[in-house]
Amino acid sequence: MATAQATGPPLASDSLLYDRSARTRWRIGFDKWIGRLLPLLFLVALFPIIDLMYFVTVRAAPILSIGNLTNTSPYANLNGNAVGLALIGTFYVMAISTALAVLLGLFGGIATAEFLSERSAGWIRMTANMLAGTPSVVVGYFGYFAFVVYFGWGYSMIAGALTLAFFMTPYTFRTVDLAYTSIPRPIREAALGSGAKPYQYILKIGTPIAFPQVLTGVFLAMAIGIGETAPIVLTTHTSLLVPQSIYSGVTFLTYLVYTGYNLPPGENGLAKAFQAAFLIMVIVIALNIVVRIIAARYRKRLEGLFQ
Amino acid sequence: MGNPLTTPLAAEQPVVGQKPLPAPHPPARRAGPRVAHALGVVAPWIPALVPAAIVAAIIWQLLVASGVSLWPLRGPITFGWSFFGPHWNSAQNQWGIAVFVVGSFLTAVPALFLSLFIGLGIAIASTTYLPGFVTRILDPFVDLLAGIPSVVYGIWAFLVIAPFFGTQLNPWLYDHAHFIPGFSGPPPEAIGTGLPIGIFILTIMALPITTLLIRDALRSVPKDLWESGLALGATRWETMRRVAIPHSTRGILSAGFLGFGRAFSETIALAMILGVQAAYPANFFQETATLATWMFENLDAAYGNSQWLAALSEMALVLLAVSLVVNILGRRLISSFVAYDVAGL
Amino acid sequence: MSAAIGSPSETVLATDHLTVLSKQKKLLDDVNLEFAPRSLTAVVGPSGCGKTTFVRSLNRMTELTPGLKVKGAVRYLGQNIYDPAVNPVLVRRRIGMVFQRPTVFPMSVFENAAFGLRLIHEQEDEIDRAVTESLQRSGLWDEVKTDLDRPALSLSGGQQQRLCIARALAVRPRVLLMDEPTSALDPAATQRVEATMERLKQDIVIVLVTHNVGQAARVSDRVAFLHTGRLVEVGPTGDILERPKDPLTEQFITGRFG
Repeated sequence: MATAQATGPPLASDSLLYDRSARTRWRIGFDKWIGRLLPLLFLVALFPIIDLMYFVTVRAAPILSIGNLTNTSPYANLNGNAVGLALIGTFYVMAISTALAVLLGLFGGIATAEFLSERSAGWIRMTANMLAGTPSVVVGYFGYFAFVVYFGWGYSMIAGALTLAFFMTPYTFRTVDLAYTSIPRPIREAALGSGAKPYQYILKIGTPIAFPQVLTGVFLAMAIGIGETAPIVLTTHTSLLVPQSIYSGVTFLTYLVYTGYNLPPGENGLAKAFQAAFLIMVIVIALNIVVRIIAARYRKRLEGLFQ
Repeated sequence: MGNPLTTPLAAEQPVVGQKPLPAPHPPARRAGPRVAHALGVVAPWIPALVPAAIVAAIIWQLLVASGVSLWPLRGPITFGWSFFGPHWNSAQNQWGIAVFVVGSFLTAVPALFLSLFIGLGIAIASTTYLPGFVTRILDPFVDLLAGIPSVVYGIWAFLVIAPFFGTQLNPWLYDHAHFIPGFSGPPPEAIGTGLPIGIFILTIMALPITTLLIRDALRSVPKDLWESGLALGATRWETMRRVAIPHSTRGILSAGFLGFGRAFSETIALAMILGVQAAYPANFFQETATLATWMFENLDAAYGNSQWLAALSEMALVLLAVSLVVNILGRRLISSFVAYDVAGL
Repeated sequence: MSAAIGSPSETVLATDHLTVLSKQKKLLDDVNLEFAPRSLTAVVGPSGCGKTTFVRSLNRMTELTPGLKVKGAVRYLGQNIYDPAVNPVLVRRRIGMVFQRPTVFPMSVFENAAFGLRLIHEQEDEIDRAVTESLQRSGLWDEVKTDLDRPALSLSGGQQQRLCIARALAVRPRVLLMDEPTSALDPAATQRVEATMERLKQDIVIVLVTHNVGQAARVSDRVAFLHTGRLVEVGPTGDILERPKDPLTEQFITGRFG
């Protein structure tokens, strides 16, 4: 190179366009190809969702009807294709368990976020994570031994609802905790510093800010709860009647899927299983979509607050 | 007037001409406000301890049901070390859970590796190789995998995937691989249930967890660090491999732990497609049972038999212990306090 | 310009009507600047004037920010680095970069310095030699020569930054871009890095972005003043700082705005 320095070390080869050693070409090519192959792995993840939703919809569509959904006669629900009893049963169970999970999670989450020291809160959060990590079948065992056997309630709606509530609580708990913890410090300090008592701050300022996130937590807990099978099967079996009291039996949607899935085609157990699976999917996806909408609007609304 | 810095502050120094201010009163000694104050300190703990109380109640109830002689309990039934023995036979009062532990590992471990591998690939593609608008659409779909109920996975796998496995994949594998020890022996059933599909479904169920955690870990690599790698003339892959992934080791490990926890405790979907046999699988294609699936399916049959129920309760405790350990270890590796709203996380 | 490879040319790097646009505004507007060998050019200007964008466009790092469009050309020894036939990987070996914060990799000191060389698979003894040499050039050698295997993160901030400089030098670029390399360092470390810069400018081309006019005065041969994306004035350091021709330059130098 005519412009080589008089002193100093030799410099890197300078042509950008022509000096492409085999090694460099290999490196660049590898990067290009892996960049084309790796995205294909998305298909591995997308295939199950799409195929599964397609399958459930296609199998359930011919059987679904308003009649089937609203029919609560014992005969139709046992020997026919009606799922009305299951819908009602699921509704009752979910109502009780969601209410309880929200109650426990709300108080517990606010207590942890607002009143406990950071160190204590850390331990409490760990216990919440432990509960969340407890397998659903283990919670079902607890529900069976405690409610069905020990308390003597038998296979009942209340046993199922309580068990499910305990399973759902850590999710509401964590979300409420996170919601109140992520209120920006300046707002919190301004409120408390100007003389507000903690409960006033929580009611008037904290809750309106945290509310959307708490709501998403409730919906997500519901989505988890409505899809659970093990706790339900172990604590409730089924029933041919609309539940009369909390101690009566109840049919849950997932129970229908679990008992009907391996029946021969043509059996109405299988037909009910398809309908139940479809309904569960629809509810779960609907809840997920609602959560995303809330999350998106929440982010926009509070963009100014979070620097 | 002494040095103002060393003069002790007894009472306030008076302004010229005025009387000195009186010293402050000692705190009130009435009972009411102090009780209220004490209540205020204790009260938040009551709701906060609810999750801990539930976990404690679960453990306690299972201990009672399993009759374990643990002070201060005095239970009538103890199994001792034979509990971890190799055979489970309810008719002969044999309660060895080793067969189920083996089943759990045979399904969960391959599923873990597969889901880590695929999850890593998806996370890399999502953070590095795909444009922003594509990942914004595709990522939520992968996350959606986590929200699908286990029982729906089960019915889909049983009716759609299992026939494919039974009639196409398993025979193909069997034909081509039966010289490998675990793949020989009786040929696979056409129904398709067994280990292969079990591993398949567990991989799918652990995938959203591993993908999410690895993706988060990769995204939290500092921008400067990433750009430094590229600025040295490294390709994206090289920077990813040599800089970003080593930086994200903790996140990837946590993905491994939590994904394994998910696979290990999966019950319903696996029960629907793994078959239920309390026997060691003779080869890769056979049905077997895991801790979770056996626990779930066997409870009905154990009605009234206190030994049987006790054995199952102890299995529950074992499953709980493994899940908790894996979960706690996995969570310690996640540095930020993130609540993942996924069942089992 | 189609200067053939190897023809005598005073300019190592030159920008040719360089314009960079984001979706909202023009970040750089028709900048023409040439860099001669063995020089240190300081690029100064108030915040938001585009100096970081400018220096990042010199080694195609602008491509890492989505939505940026680059018009015009940047010529390295006559070849446009934005030519579609040129892969950015090659550009960045010739034109290295040091960032504002020390960005050492989580490896040993040796492995950090050897990073670029390992990519191109040099022989082990060649790597050893190059690592030693680059650590010497960046002035870090004496402080680490006893233990090259210690983790890079155990070094002090100033040492880490000099390690980043060594790491960039190890692949022997002709140009080194430095984006406010001392702004995160204490005065003692800053002094060391500035000493390194003075040494290095006798071998290679350095383009230094700095908000510290004093630093520009200390180490640079030439100062280029940017304001809202336009190159307002460029000239020898003494001229710019003492006898600026443009009123904007004068206002900036005297501290009317920052």
